[in-house]
Amino acid sequence: MEFDLHSTMRGRVWKFGDSIETDAINPYYRYPTMDELKLHTMEAYRPEFPREVKAGDILVAGRNFGCGSSRPGLVLREVGIAVILAESVARLFLRNSIARAIPIFVAPGVSGIVEDGETLEVDYQAGIVRAPASGASVALRKFPSVIEQIFAAGGLPESAYARYMRECAGQTK
Amino acid sequence: MAQTIAEKLFSRNNLAGKAVQCGDFLEARIDGAMMHYHANEPLIDLAAQAGFKDGLPRVWDRDRIYVLLDHHQPTLSQKQADENALIRREVARLGIKCFHDSEPGIAHQMMADYGLMRPGEIVVGNDSHTISYGALNCGGLGITRADMLYVLLFGELWFQVPPTLKLVLNGRQPNYPIAKDIILHLAGQYGDDFAGSMSIEYSGTLVPQLSIDSRMCLSAHGVEVGAKLAMFPCDEKTREFLRTRTDLPFEPIAADAGAHYEKEIVLDVDTMPFAVAKPHQFGNVGPVAEVAGVAIQQAIIGSCANGRYEDIEIAARMLKGRKVAKGMRFLISPASQQVYLQCVKAGLIADLIEAGAQIVTPGCGVCQPKVGYLSDGEACITATTRNFKGRKGSMKADIYLAGPLTVAAAAVAGKIVDPREVFDGI
Repeated sequence: MEFDLHSTMRGRVWKFGDSIETDAINPYYRYPTMDELKLHTMEAYRPEFPREVKAGDILVAGRNFGCGSSRPGLVLREVGIAVILAESVARLFLRNSIARAIPIFVAPGVSGIVEDGETLEVDYQAGIVRAPASGASVALRKFPSVIEQIFAAGGLPESAYARYMRECAGQTK
Repeated sequence: MAQTIAEKLFSRNNLAGKAVQCGDFLEARIDGAMMHYHANEPLIDLAAQAGFKDGLPRVWDRDRIYVLLDHHQPTLSQKQADENALIRREVARLGIKCFHDSEPGIAHQMMADYGLMRPGEIVVGNDSHTISYGALNCGGLGITRADMLYVLLFGELWFQVPPTLKLVLNGRQPNYPIAKDIILHLAGQYGDDFAGSMSIEYSGTLVPQLSIDSRMCLSAHGVEVGAKLAMFPCDEKTREFLRTRTDLPFEPIAADAGAHYEKEIVLDVDTMPFAVAKPHQFGNVGPVAEVAGVAIQQAIIGSCANGRYEDIEIAARMLKGRKVAKGMRFLISPASQQVYLQCVKAGLIADLIEAGAQIVTPGCGVCQPKVGYLSDGEACITATTRNFKGRKGSMKADIYLAGPLTVAAAAVAGKIVDPREVFDGI
């Protein structure tokens, strides 16, 4: 799914607690292929998640989301998660998500404004997360332009490719 | 303006050539890059997705990239063997000079063994425990595989300068290692992200007494408490360690007087109990008394946190003349071939085998579901890095984390026990 920081998103919420580790998100030692991973992601915390998650759903986590090994959360995008919102994110999971242009936002207080299964609206440009059911909202932390540019390029490897081609073109002029 | 270690490190390496402070974003020059191979998404595929159809066209510096097969040596499957063959071709094609191919061991320990990181440098690695290089006053920064692709091409990467946590350790080093107990105790007291995205600076009266092995345990575990950097000062012990390992000059890094610390935590280790992390999170910690009596089927000492000489020495010292409990699987995996050799020469391995321990080839295997699986309902106590559910196979097994002394005591007793009840002379 292509992601654009200018789009707003609305989706059904899956709530998780604190310190969800990358072993649970991406247990690739146990399930080495993406097809297998899709059947098992997050099952350590919610066994029904891989079965019932739908395209466009939103994952809401507590503090320290993605702690543990440096592993990307591509499988969450593959099963349909449109955006991840968390009280705080472990730094390597945040780096991984930015580098792969997976929408992930730190929004302190987000787990307090929504119940599991309810709907959330995310407006990155306005810097706000809203819960239509209660009318409550919290601010999300916007990224500096250096990171917004990585998202715009589609990820850091894509951004590296663009820079390399630019530099090669510059040398031949 | 007075700077922390992190501010100084990133200011030195800022491509824009000016001083940076906490919160600033920058493009940093990279001094070294440690890479190991990952099974689920080879770098060559990532490069192809980005547009490099034939793989990366070059690397920025053939002398500053260190490739180690680490998790995949020796190979445990046909898939790993084929992946290793691929990386051998890639290393040759790109002309990378430092390649530890046929040598088993944990990359981070081998980086130290062979002097591939030095005080004051920024060395990145596509593994979370790269942070352990802070033990040698080196700015070890864990990055991601996609970040690594960028580094390989340009030798540069974006960072945000972190705030700093001053971690003051006071007290006396007993005659056994306590690094694991220290970090577990702190995670229990302050939560498993008490240093979230921060740079830890270690200081206090205990620090000069801590061995390099203990410092590497504490720095490696920086990531288990959320840190970005975990820096020790460069002192006589650091210089002594590096003397035989590198000829290259280096410039140690220390904070200025008056530098700003976001947070300060002080721990007196003399009053600290033996600490155990219960299933299934690093911060789920209590004193050993709280879990005493829990039956254990497997005990492990190893990993980039506790696979070093002093971790194995304390086990050998305590087990000499004793036997592990009947049915106990006691796995000991030295962190590297150099550590293994040191243990062999000191006679530790003979003592451990006589006591009934199994010696596992150096590497990351004992810390993952790879070597020493657990079955449903089993319990393991381990001096390794993580105790997440399923980390050793079964989702219905329990993993307890503890220091090597507490693990050795459980291996003898067949259950979790205060080491003082089993061993004398500690």
